[in-house]
Amino acid sequence: MMDSYAIKKGEVLEDGKAMKNSVFTASKVRTFLPVIALVAVALAFNILSGGKLLAPANIKLLLSQVYVTMIAATGVFFIMTMGGLDFSQGSILGVSSLVFCFLSKYSILLAIIGGIVAGACIGAFNGYFYVKRKVKSFVVTICTMFLFRGVIEFATTNAPIQANIVKTVSLNNDGLKMTVTLVVLITAYFFFRYTKFGKHLKAIGAGEKAAAFSGIATDKMKFWVYVLSGAITGLAAFISAIKVGSVTANSGSRLETQIMIALVLGGMPISGGAKVKFENVVIGSVLYIVLNAGLVTVGLDPAMQQLIEGIIFLIVVAITSDRTTTQIVK
Amino acid sequence: MMSEKRLQALDVCKTFGVIKAVQNVSIDFNAGEIHGLIGENGSGKSTLVQMLTGIVPIDRGRFILDGKEIHVRDQVEANKEGISIIVQELGTLSGLTVAENIFLGHEDRFVKYGIKNTNAMVKEANELLKQYGFERINAAEMIDRYNFEDRKLVEIVKSTYFFPKVVVIDETTTALSQEGREELYKHMNRIREEGNTVIFISHDLPEVLDKCDRVSVLRDGVYIDTVNAKDVTEDDLKKLMVGRELGEHYYREDYGEKISDEVVLSARGVTVPGLIEDVSFDLHKGEILGFGGLSECGMHEVGKAVFGASYDREGSVTLADGTEVDSIITAIRHSVAYASKDRDNESIVINESIGDNICLPSLDELGGRSRILKDRNLRAFAEKHAKAMAVKMVNTDQYVSELSGGNKQKVVLARWIGKDSDIIVLDSPTRGIDVKVKADIYALMDQMRKEGKSIIMISEEIMELIGMCDRIIIMKDGKNSGEELYRDPSLSENDLIARMV
Repeated sequence: MMDSYAIKKGEVLEDGKAMKNSVFTASKVRTFLPVIALVAVALAFNILSGGKLLAPANIKLLLSQVYVTMIAATGVFFIMTMGGLDFSQGSILGVSSLVFCFLSKYSILLAIIGGIVAGACIGAFNGYFYVKRKVKSFVVTICTMFLFRGVIEFATTNAPIQANIVKTVSLNNDGLKMTVTLVVLITAYFFFRYTKFGKHLKAIGAGEKAAAFSGIATDKMKFWVYVLSGAITGLAAFISAIKVGSVTANSGSRLETQIMIALVLGGMPISGGAKVKFENVVIGSVLYIVLNAGLVTVGLDPAMQQLIEGIIFLIVVAITSDRTTTQIVK
Repeated sequence: MMSEKRLQALDVCKTFGVIKAVQNVSIDFNAGEIHGLIGENGSGKSTLVQMLTGIVPIDRGRFILDGKEIHVRDQVEANKEGISIIVQELGTLSGLTVAENIFLGHEDRFVKYGIKNTNAMVKEANELLKQYGFERINAAEMIDRYNFEDRKLVEIVKSTYFFPKVVVIDETTTALSQEGREELYKHMNRIREEGNTVIFISHDLPEVLDKCDRVSVLRDGVYIDTVNAKDVTEDDLKKLMVGRELGEHYYREDYGEKISDEVVLSARGVTVPGLIEDVSFDLHKGEILGFGGLSECGMHEVGKAVFGASYDREGSVTLADGTEVDSIITAIRHSVAYASKDRDNESIVINESIGDNICLPSLDELGGRSRILKDRNLRAFAEKHAKAMAVKMVNTDQYVSELSGGNKQKVVLARWIGKDSDIIVLDSPTRGIDVKVKADIYALMDQMRKEGKSIIMISEEIMELIGMCDRIIIMKDGKNSGEELYRDPSLSENDLIARMV
């Protein structure tokens, strides 16, 4: 049987050589566009703001804003890789912060764990309705967004919930926050890139039925990824709470939009699948924060900022969405 | 016979990236003829007719219909010019009724004062279905209620009811049962008698010779020749397609080999509500067990049931070591592999690379004890198996969605050979695949059999069942139709057909 391939094999090699270059450059452009955008945006705003944006003091401020978004975006990144969406991140952050602040009176360790468990529970709630009751993920998570925002508002009706300031203030330092962020990113990167976890997520995003026929427990995976993502945001709540020190009715609100804009700016295909790269999380989060801070430093009022962010989001999605593989966003 | 030119393709070209899909192809199609268009997978047949019907834009060249150059940008415009197509895969839209599908793009006829008269549309659709003899299809029903074959019949109505001048039939017959094919042939002949033209794409060469007046051959995007069907043999066509002689060996040649007594899988009382009922059989080591029947006989579900992929399955599927196969994961873990008839949705992850597709079921093995997947190992594994199957590709990073049907099937086989599965369930393994890749697949099956692997082959092609199987079970109405047939040189098509109907 192999004999009959002799001629064809020659052709394959030739074709391969000829095509390698064009494929190579196309994928390079795709990968590096967000990096180029990041550099361009940073430099442009730095010039516009007369060097204020990239001044050392401001960089420290920028970093302190990026941690929460980046950690929470990691979980959403997993969800979006398998073709799902999650709009409930802001409310998860709020509820987890609530639990953290409440428990911080007893023990910080307990408070951290409590926050993570609370996030995981909301993730499980999302996962149950998405997987078992077969409700589309954006519908489920929009519902949980409102539901748990209500819980937060109820809990903070009289006054913001305060954390145990004595204990949390000592924790509020960049070293700790950066360490936690790096640990989350590196762990997530490792599992996504070098174990079957990442491969399975991508396969589900690229074709769920075929993934199931390849031996992937798709339902189980989908459920647990929602739980995981909730837990990761629960951890982000710890970082958020030690910085802020209390929970108000608005704690965490708009986090879900920030994450989604960050991921898309980072080059994440909105329908997930095989073209997803982990770098999307890091570059996207930084790009979002720089853009945001840039708009502030040039003196735009917050209302205009949202407008501009909205327009940028729309443009990026319109340019980068890959129509050849687009399927219905679930 | 009339020889008036109906449609001319003049120097038509199409490039996808760096792949020249169609290069300067010029063909004349006459009025009142059935014109076969053949070539291997990836030879440019489908691309050519897709340009004709506006599905893909044309790069260079012209199409002249009745002396007038036509420019169509989509199928609706093509219909208005009098050109229609029945596509290879599903060409009907889910979520619409049968009637809405038939009149897709032509709803204006039923719109009065901005309101669509659904009743009139359904009524006319039902009349059409009746004229075609497809009364069992109800135009008011959602198309999703009907199976692949019935949906193809609806497509026949959709693309021929308005007496188009040119009808393209792209590799449709392999999706149809014998009855469905007869229906299609009837309408092909009718179109010819009305003085119009059928462009008929098929890999089934005897069918092409039998049904067509003239046959044009493409190879690697280049026009080779047009011949009169009655002047040539099947071998002549093969030679034109491949560009050289094909070996004599096509199917297996051995007879009288003893089937091993060792049973590797046994199914008992397998029932899937509404699809199959009380199916029992044993699969022996190193044998090819065939399942045949009409397309609705339930044989396709048998494959899914063995693989643990059926919903609500009753009965048992037990492996030699006593394992009960009750889920896809158990099946794969215990060396059972499955290639679905629905290649694009079930056999491969269409929006992933060749490499990812080949590695996907074998990730546990590739990770070794540490469970860490190294890019280098994955790439080497994918390349090894893709090359062994001679997948025609740029490299393993290429997406499977860009491959032709035959190459996709090679990727499917490569992944299960990579997994080293011992029991392989192949549902319609050669559907829509050209003779050369077919021969490769048959040779591979023979080789696997000799290595002691057991194969279940489900097929609507009677000849390949007879040619390849040690035993054949014919299904009818979801049940086993009786005693199995054993491999024998005297076994004929009629022996099998007699049990199917």
